[in-house]
Amino acid sequence: MEKEQEQIQAVSDSKAAVFDPKEVIVDIQHLSKSFGDNHVLIDMNITVHKGENVVVLGKSGSGKSVLIKCLVRLLDSDEGTIKVLGNEITTLKNNELNVVRKNIGFLFQSAALYDSMTVNENLAFPLRDQKKTLEEIDTLIQEGLESVGLPDAGLLMPSELSGGMRKRIGLARTMILKPAIMLYDEPTTGLDPITSKEISKLILEVQTKQQTSSIIITHDIECARITANRIIVIKDGKAAAEGTYDELIKSEDKWIRSFFE
Amino acid sequence: MSESKLATLPAKSPDSNVFIFSSGKFGEFFKEIGEITRFAGNFFKSMVIPPYEFKELMKQCYLIGNKSLSLVAITGFIMGLVLTIQTRPTLARFGAESWIPGMIAVSIIREIGPVITALICAGKVGSGIGAELASMKVTEQIDAMEVSGTNPFKYIVVTRILATTMMIPVLVIFADFVALIGGYLGVNILGDVGFRFYFTQVFNQLDYSDLLPACGKTILFGFSIGLVSCYKGYNANKGTEGVGLSANAAVVLSSLCIFIIDAVAVQLTSILLPK
Ligand SMILES: Nc1ncnc2c1ncn2[C@@H]1O[C@H](COP(=O)(O)OP(=O)(O)O)[C@@H](O)[C@H]1O
Ligand SMILES: [Mg+2]
Repeated sequence: MEKEQEQIQAVSDSKAAVFDPKEVIVDIQHLSKSFGDNHVLIDMNITVHKGENVVVLGKSGSGKSVLIKCLVRLLDSDEGTIKVLGNEITTLKNNELNVVRKNIGFLFQSAALYDSMTVNENLAFPLRDQKKTLEEIDTLIQEGLESVGLPDAGLLMPSELSGGMRKRIGLARTMILKPAIMLYDEPTTGLDPITSKEISKLILEVQTKQQTSSIIITHDIECARITANRIIVIKDGKAAAEGTYDELIKSEDKWIRSFFE
Repeated sequence: MSESKLATLPAKSPDSNVFIFSSGKFGEFFKEIGEITRFAGNFFKSMVIPPYEFKELMKQCYLIGNKSLSLVAITGFIMGLVLTIQTRPTLARFGAESWIPGMIAVSIIREIGPVITALICAGKVGSGIGAELASMKVTEQIDAMEVSGTNPFKYIVVTRILATTMMIPVLVIFADFVALIGGYLGVNILGDVGFRFYFTQVFNQLDYSDLLPACGKTILFGFSIGLVSCYKGYNANKGTEGVGLSANAAVVLSSLCIFIIDAVAVQLTSILLPK
């Protein structure tokens, strides 16, 4: 247990060394999004730097998923600017948008594995239009499966996987294009504490190995502690607080501290 | 219509129900027809713009044909058999037993074969597509596809609508054939009719004015099954409940479409191709 903590700390430190505060990868300014009378996001501002893990905390229904869905334009934002790798997402044409999307990995809350395909086919799906030979694809798939610790799962169907395995395969699928940005929607929700910790460590590994910038949505404080370089707390559609784990845990604000109890 | 779309509409003003057609069930009905028409428009647009998903189309054709083949064969066979056994006494009373093959041929090819087979496929294929797409929607698989840079409408919807449009006619032709064989056995339960004689009689009674309209309407049946089922699945509401509802609505609505298309087709045929 203790040794594990040290390991996590070690990976954590090595990551902190990689992250570059000067280069902004994602820049969200004054983002607003409403559904009818339901004002979910109001004037939201978030920046993510190269190689940085930003954790977004917030109660359920506070608009965390809406936030990252606006970032890949699964939802159209009402107001504000969203710059990803220097591209203004809100005004891109569809084909340009798809190019930017290739640089963004999105791990859905349910992992969103394609039910009718085997694990191998799931992993191959993002490579469809990549002009790669079959051998190259096979190698990438095997690497992907090994990196999430499931080298033998290739021929299984998603229905045969446990919740933790689904998340891992989902992660492997999103990582297969080696995206510059990763978005994780509640990666540990619904998993037991041990599996949650393993997933958190995988997230950290992704950051260290591939210098990925990530937004991690969660209300699992342990996951936030392990993965975050910086934490943003959402309340009433705004970023209510921002800081490192250690800063926020000592916050004056009772509401913010309540997350950490 | 999906809840998310409803939620984005502006709130209804209180006097909007001055227009009878825009409120209540009636209004919903027309709104839905409008939505389906737009969905169909998107289908035709996406169908012609490359890239084309040939591999997925072939896979869907195979699945649809393969899944329904035995079911269609059994129903077709029984259809032919029962029709023969039922009509024999009536025709026998007029001493017109030799007309049985021709009568069976005309009724099966023109009407019963296409409609019954399409209804069976609406149940089997339509519910399958409705449930599959709805669960893909609910579990964010469609979103995942979109984010990975694949157009989900093209990959999922266009391929399925094309597959039903192509495969339902094939299944109908197969069912017609099996039904005629069933009819042959039915004729031979009480009589003794040669295989050759039977089929000569069958083909003597059929001409292009029977075959062409039948073909035309089966293509429309196939298209409507695919379109309606995909529409219902693709616009499923959130939650697992939405999956069952979509599958159900897909079957009900596509069966209804089949009857409506049939009624219109029969009228058109009798106007355009009078016997
Ligand atoms: N497609 C949608 N249509 C209408 N309302 C939505 C939609 N998506 C999310 N919402 C609403 O936005 C709010 C925030 O949702 P969400 O971002 O999923 O919360 P969470 O922070 O738990 O991820 C909720 O009130 C939800 O009802
Ligand atoms: Mg959420």
